[in-house]
Amino acid sequence: MFRSQTMRKVDLIVPEGDVVAVTEALAASNVFHLARSRGYAASAGIGSRTPWQDYTTAFFELEQRVLAVMQALGADEGHAPQEGVHLLVPSVARRDIERLEREAEEPSRDLEMARQKLAKLEKYLEQIQLIADLDVRVEMLRQAQFLFVLPGTIPLANIDRLRVSLEHVPIVLTTLSRDEHVATVILFGVRRDADVLTRAARSAYLNPIVAPEVYTGTPADVIKALEASIARTRAQIATAETTLQQLYDMRVRHLRHLLWRIRASHSLVEAIGGYEHLRFTYIISGWTPASEAASLRRKVLEVSSQAIIEVEEPGRLDPVSPPVVLNNPFALRSFEGLVTNYGYPSYTELDPTPLLALTFPLIFGLMFGDVGHGLLLMLAGLLLASRRLRPLQSLSSIGGILIGCGATSMGFGFLYGSLFGFEDVLKPLWLQPLEEITSILLAAVAVGIGVLTLGMLYHILNAALARAWGNMLCDHSGISGMVFYWSLLGLVAGAFMPDFPISPVVLAILAILSGLVVTFSEVFIHLIHRRRPLIAGGVGTYLMQAFFELFETVISFLSNTLSYVRMGAFAVAHGALSLVVFIIAEIISPGKGIGYWLDVVLGNLFVIGFEGMIVAIQTLRLEYYEFFSKFFAGGGERYSPFSLFSKEDGL
Amino acid sequence: MSPRGVTAYSLVNATVRALYSNLLSSTTWRALVQAEDYDAVLTLLGKTVYASYLQLERPLLSPRRAVYQLRWHLADVYEKLIRVTPDPGKQLLIDLWDHYEVDNLKATLRGIEAGASLDQVRHLLYPMRRAIVLTTPVIEQMVRAGDIDRAIGVLRGTLYYPTLMHALTRYHTEKSLFPLEVALDLDYRRRLWQSIDRLKGLDHEQALRTLGVPLDADNLLWAIRYRVYHRLSAEEIINYTLPLGYQVQDVHIRAIANGEDIAAVVHQVYPNLAAPENLGDAEGGGLAQLERALQQHIVDTCRSVFLGNPFHIGVPLAYVWLNEYEIRNLTVIIEAKASQVSPDVFAALFEGLQMSSESS
Repeated sequence: MFRSQTMRKVDLIVPEGDVVAVTEALAASNVFHLARSRGYAASAGIGSRTPWQDYTTAFFELEQRVLAVMQALGADEGHAPQEGVHLLVPSVARRDIERLEREAEEPSRDLEMARQKLAKLEKYLEQIQLIADLDVRVEMLRQAQFLFVLPGTIPLANIDRLRVSLEHVPIVLTTLSRDEHVATVILFGVRRDADVLTRAARSAYLNPIVAPEVYTGTPADVIKALEASIARTRAQIATAETTLQQLYDMRVRHLRHLLWRIRASHSLVEAIGGYEHLRFTYIISGWTPASEAASLRRKVLEVSSQAIIEVEEPGRLDPVSPPVVLNNPFALRSFEGLVTNYGYPSYTELDPTPLLALTFPLIFGLMFGDVGHGLLLMLAGLLLASRRLRPLQSLSSIGGILIGCGATSMGFGFLYGSLFGFEDVLKPLWLQPLEEITSILLAAVAVGIGVLTLGMLYHILNAALARAWGNMLCDHSGISGMVFYWSLLGLVAGAFMPDFPISPVVLAILAILSGLVVTFSEVFIHLIHRRRPLIAGGVGTYLMQAFFELFETVISFLSNTLSYVRMGAFAVAHGALSLVVFIIAEIISPGKGIGYWLDVVLGNLFVIGFEGMIVAIQTLRLEYYEFFSKFFAGGGERYSPFSLFSKEDGL
Repeated sequence: MSPRGVTAYSLVNATVRALYSNLLSSTTWRALVQAEDYDAVLTLLGKTVYASYLQLERPLLSPRRAVYQLRWHLADVYEKLIRVTPDPGKQLLIDLWDHYEVDNLKATLRGIEAGASLDQVRHLLYPMRRAIVLTTPVIEQMVRAGDIDRAIGVLRGTLYYPTLMHALTRYHTEKSLFPLEVALDLDYRRRLWQSIDRLKGLDHEQALRTLGVPLDADNLLWAIRYRVYHRLSAEEIINYTLPLGYQVQDVHIRAIANGEDIAAVVHQVYPNLAAPENLGDAEGGGLAQLERALQQHIVDTCRSVFLGNPFHIGVPLAYVWLNEYEIRNLTVIIEAKASQVSPDVFAALFEGLQMSSESS
């Protein structure tokens, strides 16, 4: 809890001859997170190119070629194999693929050409059928003196636009046929407008169809000739399809097997291409959970007795931070999702999940205090967490959050004396928000101050763990910031409470001193860490920036603290909303008949569903914006073990 | 505020609120503009949400590299918001993210046309965590293909293929990438409009407002540029623009295409926009002023989305636009500082332009 699962930095020095076997063993172990640069270096190709990078490209090309053969045969990819897969030699795989391509090439090329030919012939036929009754020779149409005729294909989306663009020109635009993306059209106009028509057609992406001049005679003659050609072409297509089906039956299993081996090999060489290469050895760097280090060492040594394996604790100054495995007890895991949605904690950072698991239900309960509503939320949470309802299984992760929030709602329900909105059944152990609005608002601010202080303490602890002493002392969420915050709070409290135990002079001195440290924190931090220059940029710019930062710090202290007033306001609103339910119920059925109780039930369900959701959002907002911003940077990387069948699509 | 909307967008809203609070404040912008040099800019950015993206050794952090690193932030923001946004809004966010892929595709084609190497092409691209089509190997294969025909062949089976294949005829005739790029832009924007139209109720209304304004701006600027700079005919301008719009309607585009006074048309669309009068003059700088005014209008629209009911798709959409503009403006500052341009020259670009509302 609080810390990521302990990781170990693993550096392997592997003889060149064993690098493939070791990489396969690392992938099979499923506990090794490869250390990689953050995308740019890899994608930008910084550094010298190794043969493995050429293999990566080769396997990608081979994969495309296998997929092309499979597409030609109509074969699907099948599933990734469960058993271990070993590296293919690209040249061997290439020979295999070339054989398959040769087998498939002729029938698929014949098929493709025949289909293209058929499509063209059918298009010509469609066009010519429009003028089938004309007793004019088609070659005369081609050479028309006064008529502009442009048959062609155009994207469907451009047809209307083409019409609009020619609204001032006399035209007829006839659509002959259309498929998913493209339509076949004929544009008729007057020859004198040829320039405008040509420009419009070109800009609308109308690609002209030039009918072959071999077809001559009347349209009836041309149709006859085209129909004969179409029949011959269809026969060719049938022959090619039969050949391809026979090939499919013979080769489909082999193709699928080859595809997955190529994919695995691609992952393998891609990983090796990222290793550091010395003269006769490779250095592989990565991370593994400490508990897995021994078994990983054993598995590597099984395949490479000469491999040198160094397992060490992550160094504080390592440029690359270890990946993070959140390590919380089962009861808190529901809250992990809320944390990782904001950001993954870095390895040296404390995991805020336990703190969130404490403050989230507390804030929620304060705003939504009702024994009955809390009980229903808790039951709903238990139902979701039990995964008994199949349609709601995907929501099981929020079951724990509902249980926690339900429990605190019940707790505050007892404190407020509220049961399903009835304020007279239970005796309040503390106060009724509707009756003592000022008290609940002040209590909310007090809780807010507590939560913010907790955030600052977390920041101080984080800084101490990272040995960032300067930040621990001088940051606006560090010790100086906390003293500054509490001094200001003391001054405000002293102004309203004559008997405040600490003298305002002392508080003012503390506020000025700590405020100065916060204002010039950059200089102090650089001094403590012996960094130079003390001020980056000009002094004037720095002073202006420091002044504005102090101003921002004070404003953010004020706004962050006052933000928590909403907790009290929502507690009041919760009581008021319940009251409205009862007022409506009285109006519907003054004698407390069935209408009264129906309204009470529906009203309570509305309060739980609608107001509960709004309260949850406000809680999340307070956590993310007011609380996390005090201490949580969230720049960590998720632990993701290397696998041969993982896919990464980032550039 | 419907219970359905609240349920669907509760987590999105909380996430965007947290992200929104990290937009750079006006204090930081002032400091960045006045920073002494590029190093001072990096120091200032080191105290912002971009700090973790700039944690590279200083010699590696060239201005181009710094901009590339900043763009990773936007990629992460999209990834995060796409993950928490429910359908059908999620699909709209994915479709919006696709415009970086379209830009990358155009940049790749330009690189191939210019005979650039793979590394040179990669430097021009947006980093993508979520590449649907243009994964690294696909780009590599396109560049290795060596010519536009074969590069487009690599895209067979993708949504870009039919559009590019159809436009290829014109590429061969005109020996220019212009028809390919225009076809990609028009096709992408049509898809985005369709994606907006698939939404219902408040989501549709807000998506229309949030995305309609920048899409309008593109359409309007295209029409003006085609007329003023490229001197295209009316029918070409109409075919190279879209009849779809939020405030800019087809009638406005046709009016520009048919030679009407551009400033009057702009004023008719945006009566309150501080638009210049000299928009018909290619040398007058009016178009640049109009672009800035439209950018401010987009930023204002996005900020206004955060007022009122926050449970709709407009909130994440508005945030990603604000973040996009923030990175664009940071790019201007980085390039200006790296070239030692005085703030007097470019500070005017930032006058009155405030990205965040300075509050949560």
